[in-house]
Amino acid sequence: MARIQKKGNSGAAKNYITRTRAVKKLQISLPDFRRLCIFKGIYPREPRKKKKVSKGSTAATTFYYTKDIQYLLHEPLLAKFREHKAVAKKIARALGRGEAGDAARLEKNLVPKVKLDHIIKERYPTFVDALRDLDDALSMLFLFANLPSSDYVPAKTISLCQRLCHEFEHYVIVSHSLRKSFLSIKGIYYQATIQGQDILWLVPYRFVQRTGGDIDFRIMGTFVEFYTTLLGFVNYRLYTSIGLVYPPKFNAKMDEQGGELSAFQLEGRSLITNGTATKSDTPAVINPEAQAIADKIAAQPDAEEEEETAVAPVEAIEDENTEGIDKFEVTAPDADVLPQPEASSAEVASLFAPFTFFLSREVPRAPLEFILKAFGCKRVGWDGSLGDGAFTMNESDPFITHQIVDRPSISTDAPDVPETGKGSATAPKAQWPRSTMPGRTYVQPQWVWDCLNQGKLLRPDLYAPGAELPPHLSPWVKPKAGEYDPTRALQEQELEGEAEAAEDEDEDEEAAEASDEEMGGAEHDTDGLLNRESSVEAGEGMDVADSDDDDSEDSEDSEGDAKDAADEWDGFDSDAESDISEGEAARLQHQRELEAEATGKKLEPQVETTKSKNTAIRKKAEKKRKQEQEERERQKMMLSNKKRKLLKRIEYGTNKRDVEAENLRKKRRRVEKAKAAAEAV
Amino acid sequence: MAFNSKKRKVVTRDTPSENDSDDELANGLLSGILSHSEDESDENQEGGVDSGVSSEIEGLSDGGEEDEEDGSDTDLEGDEQDIREQFRNLKTTDKPSSRNAVDITLDHDLEANTNGEMEEEGEDMKPNYTVTTDANGNLRYIYKEIDPVYDSDDSDAEATNTIGDIPLAFYDEYPHIGYDINGKKIMRPAKGEALDALLESIDIPKGWTGLTDPATGKPLNLSEEELDVLKRLTRNEVLEDGYDPYPEMVHYFSGKTEIMPLSAAPEPKRRFVPSKHEAKRVMKIVKAIREGRIQPYKPPAEEDEEDEAVHYDVWADEKPRPEKSMHIPAPKLPPPGYDASYHPPPEYLPDNDEKAAWLGADEEDREKEYLPANYEALRKVPGYERFVKERFERSLDLYLAPRVRRNKLNIDPESLLPKLPNPEDLKPFPTTCSAIFRGQEGRVRSVSFDPSGIFVASGGDDGYVRIWELLTGRQVWNVKLSDEEAVDSVKWRPDREASILAAASGESIYMIVPFSILSPDMEQASRDVLDAGWGYAASKPSTTTNSVTKEPPGKWSRPGTRLEAKGVLLQTMVRSTVKIINWHRKGDYFATVSPRGQSTAVAIHTLSKHLTQLPFRRLKGIAQTAQFHPSKAIFFVATRNTIRSYDLAKQELVKILQPGAKWISSIDVHPGGDNIIVGTYDKRLLWHDLDLSTKPYKTLRFHQEAIRAVRFHQGGLPLFADASDDGSLQVFHGKVVGDLMENATIVPLKVLKGHKVKSRLGVMDVDWHPREPWCVSAGADGTCRLWS
Repeated sequence: MARIQKKGNSGAAKNYITRTRAVKKLQISLPDFRRLCIFKGIYPREPRKKKKVSKGSTAATTFYYTKDIQYLLHEPLLAKFREHKAVAKKIARALGRGEAGDAARLEKNLVPKVKLDHIIKERYPTFVDALRDLDDALSMLFLFANLPSSDYVPAKTISLCQRLCHEFEHYVIVSHSLRKSFLSIKGIYYQATIQGQDILWLVPYRFVQRTGGDIDFRIMGTFVEFYTTLLGFVNYRLYTSIGLVYPPKFNAKMDEQGGELSAFQLEGRSLITNGTATKSDTPAVINPEAQAIADKIAAQPDAEEEEETAVAPVEAIEDENTEGIDKFEVTAPDADVLPQPEASSAEVASLFAPFTFFLSREVPRAPLEFILKAFGCKRVGWDGSLGDGAFTMNESDPFITHQIVDRPSISTDAPDVPETGKGSATAPKAQWPRSTMPGRTYVQPQWVWDCLNQGKLLRPDLYAPGAELPPHLSPWVKPKAGEYDPTRALQEQELEGEAEAAEDEDEDEEAAEASDEEMGGAEHDTDGLLNRESSVEAGEGMDVADSDDDDSEDSEDSEGDAKDAADEWDGFDSDAESDISEGEAARLQHQRELEAEATGKKLEPQVETTKSKNTAIRKKAEKKRKQEQEERERQKMMLSNKKRKLLKRIEYGTNKRDVEAENLRKKRRRVEKAKAAAEAV
Repeated sequence: MAFNSKKRKVVTRDTPSENDSDDELANGLLSGILSHSEDESDENQEGGVDSGVSSEIEGLSDGGEEDEEDGSDTDLEGDEQDIREQFRNLKTTDKPSSRNAVDITLDHDLEANTNGEMEEEGEDMKPNYTVTTDANGNLRYIYKEIDPVYDSDDSDAEATNTIGDIPLAFYDEYPHIGYDINGKKIMRPAKGEALDALLESIDIPKGWTGLTDPATGKPLNLSEEELDVLKRLTRNEVLEDGYDPYPEMVHYFSGKTEIMPLSAAPEPKRRFVPSKHEAKRVMKIVKAIREGRIQPYKPPAEEDEEDEAVHYDVWADEKPRPEKSMHIPAPKLPPPGYDASYHPPPEYLPDNDEKAAWLGADEEDREKEYLPANYEALRKVPGYERFVKERFERSLDLYLAPRVRRNKLNIDPESLLPKLPNPEDLKPFPTTCSAIFRGQEGRVRSVSFDPSGIFVASGGDDGYVRIWELLTGRQVWNVKLSDEEAVDSVKWRPDREASILAAASGESIYMIVPFSILSPDMEQASRDVLDAGWGYAASKPSTTTNSVTKEPPGKWSRPGTRLEAKGVLLQTMVRSTVKIINWHRKGDYFATVSPRGQSTAVAIHTLSKHLTQLPFRRLKGIAQTAQFHPSKAIFFVATRNTIRSYDLAKQELVKILQPGAKWISSIDVHPGGDNIIVGTYDKRLLWHDLDLSTKPYKTLRFHQEAIRAVRFHQGGLPLFADASDDGSLQVFHGKVVGDLMENATIVPLKVLKGHKVKSRLGVMDVDWHPREPWCVSAGADGTCRLWS
């Protein structure tokens, strides 16, 4: 007979361990355990059968894998923590005795230095693993690079974060691996593709961050400690992979003067022996044509001609670019679409390559400098107040082709006499917004982002200073079936009969208003529009001759009250007319005909008013939908309980999505109407 | 000798007191008292030096007096002045020199004078200074720098009597009393003349003893102090003044344990001797410094020490993660959508209601953690105040949140839905109400198609049995069976040769041949069938030999002329109210169910023999319905919870089906015989496959109310229908394939609505047309409807 197995000695009960037991087993304090977990990347697990694991108790606890904890037992860091604890005791004793000198000496000499190198290798066995996990690291480090120093965030950490971030940015610039960027209300998102891994990180806008509330900076600090080590090694690998020396030379003086990116000087590995340092912006991968063209442009002194020449070379590049992947267009709609890589680094490198940018002082310099350089621009100048390291600080430099401006434009009626009068012919003073340089393009910052997200140069006039900008769209949203897509026209996305229903709603609202007015004793024909609508509803056959401009008229008609209707609309029952069945309608029609015959009048052909047409379309759509619904219900009847529940869950999601999309469409319809009304006025 | 010197000292001290005032003496005394203890040894040491000096002074003073008398003053005086000058000079030049030293030099000079070598001294002094005139015309002495060679200081010269330890009396007959260190005679001081002696005797000085000091030969005077000492000596008292012979005892050694023990051990010698070991160590260090092994201390720079970590290629030899690792990488944060843009399309902006809802909601309840906002230029974008918080929450998630790998439901909902045959392929099935048979009063309880499919019989609460023509919907025949009782069940005999309708009203079952609507052949055939049993019944009673004739379970009789005229030819009375009639396929047997009757609940009647049998002596539960198997000699009886099937030939129980229903209302057997549908009052329709299990194969629950009747299509179409109290019929496609591997396919087809619900009763019965896909239903609203 087999031995009776005792409960709780095998299986799930053995495989999981609670946090308290884990801490006890490791013989460390809870904060140390937390630190260890953060460093080692150990996280709690959710047992499948919780009750079995917790031996019947149902209290909420966190569980870890016993194996994970076992594995922590041999961690060298654990020894370091214990050492640290011993030293801390010694220091406390020294301080208690008032021996500050001793304490300082102990702290200086005996406190163990925690090194995380081995953990990096453990947690990320391959480099690609590390890249995959870089999102959080970069976001965190970029945040810390922008934090003010305080008690819990020492200045040294901040400067280290800044250094690592800049180094990483340099790599991205040199390797042209930045793909997308997005200005959100939280900050600026960047996405780079390095070795096939998409890395997305978020950089806050440069404001003082709110650090109050229940934020534990010790935890954040632990993460930062790990992430700095990680990014250091990643940077090393990235730099060496493109033949650069890591760490790059850091010019502290330049950094003090706000050099930021330009405080670093990259060195090629092969050039070390020669002893000549390359310039900071020497890329490993240069598009030779782009470089040649850029040089050519740089050589040309004439500012007027630059615009033309700047445009032409881009085309030339596109023509010559034969090494890249050709775009396969699907000819028949039923074929599958095979995905293709979006942008090669060569394309990225050449987007802004032929231009010279100048950033006005109100423009955020760091993101623009990074983006422009990453997309191939070699010459980025900025106002002197934005810091060191600019290509030019002279706004009137004739080489500048684009100036990025984020100020409302001043009416340029005032003659810019003093500048032109005084300025010499060779270097006219071009100070936005008093005067503009001929041949220079003035754009708002969003232009840069939209260009890079779409991978082509957009019309700069849409982004002219003071112009109303087109909406800035996230490049990561992929249009899905059933979801609302703001880039497509409204008509394409609407369900059948939806627009008509919406129009009807508006009209009903108006009609209701009209009748209200009548009730209130208002004059009948104060509002011609309302009058007309009500007459149509009465079915007297208002003559609307050409149905072609129905839509336009309709939109004009409802313009005035569109907004009111939207605000005051309170769930008018759209099913009101559906009571009258179609048979009834037909009967009415027949009756009318008979009456006409009797009276000897010639029946005017039933004029299709907008209203009736809308109703017809809507009804048809509704009927169709109803049928589909019925069919679906019938199918659902046959499902097993389990599957029905599953289906319900799925349908919940899709319904929610549909409601959301419909809501958005509704809003858009309203906005478009309002816009049309404004244009008409 | 010590005593001697002391004595002498006493004398020397005395001399100035003679010369000076009494105050000075007192001063001297005082100073002695003040410097009582510490200077003791000093004085003693000085004593040796002083003793000679003081004598010389005395000598000088005396000699001076004598010299004065001799009349050789001038030179001496000049010399004295010189010396004084020199002395002053000394003082100025050599300020830090101790007082003692100065005294000594002075003594020396004076002594030099006394020695009478003034010339020599003068010569010596002469080159010591040059005389010039100063600005006022006065003389000015400019002294040379004193060369501090060894000879320059002869202060240590001994100027005492060197005669040694012999009594002075030996020199009594000489003019001198000894020799100084240079061998010069020390002349005896002049002895007083007689006059002097007289004068002295006249005013005896204080402390006069009348003795002569043997060392000096002078009269020995004692000071008051000395006298006091003498006095104490004579009185055997302690010499010192203020000496306390019995001081307070200090308990150096007491019973108390002190913290720091005192040691009485004498200081060891090593405390005073320089340590050899230390010297060795020092020499070592000295050597090391000389050789450069020890560098002078330089504090290390902070920055150098805390240099950042060295970087190297960690992934130089990378190995992929083992296949079976349980590692779950942290899920990435989703990329921002359109509404996170700083300048989103206007439709993404929240309107006032949404904004208010967002602001009003608790932070945890919000679907999005931010409110979409629009800024028309980049410069107007403010900082995001939750940035740090969000990052913090993310880091909490990273280390605190359990990670579970969840399979995301990436199922196309369409694929979940079963692939149903197209409704067009399932046709024909009834879809619309094509005829309504009106005319009944009260509920219609039962309907039945005649085997030819021309007529429909119905029975209801009004006690009538009516026959309707199907196509026209016209009532062609009726009969009132009973005044009080309702007609609970009507059923045509399944035989196309004869047309017999069985109807149950109350406790009696009537066999009806509606001859008015039948052809004469048919009528005759029907009458023959019914009449066949009469003879059998007459001959039978003889078999019952018992004197007490047992009352038969069924009484077969003629119903009476009124009914017979209408075509009701046979009446069978059973003991309790019959609710259900079901015919055997051959039409010879029929089963009736009267749920109230305990042992007589189920009865099987043989039409050809006019015989009623009660197959069950006692039935478990209340019988609901009973039915014959369409092809085998199997009989199904449904009680409230179970369905039992009995083999009539072997007379044994075959199977007990447990549909799991609370109250079975009706059952029907599939024409194939292997499937049963069960309708229940608990709103479920169950499909039993007899080959599979005793549990239902499918449970269909589409009705809101109880199901009253279920019926298979008997004419070869895969259809079945149920009738429910919610006023609807549901028509299903139920295809049974002969293949055992394949289960029956059941497809819901149609919900037929039309009957009105009256007092919570809807459709009471349903029956299928023998061939066509038509069904007829009996409603509680008093109508029957034909669905086609």
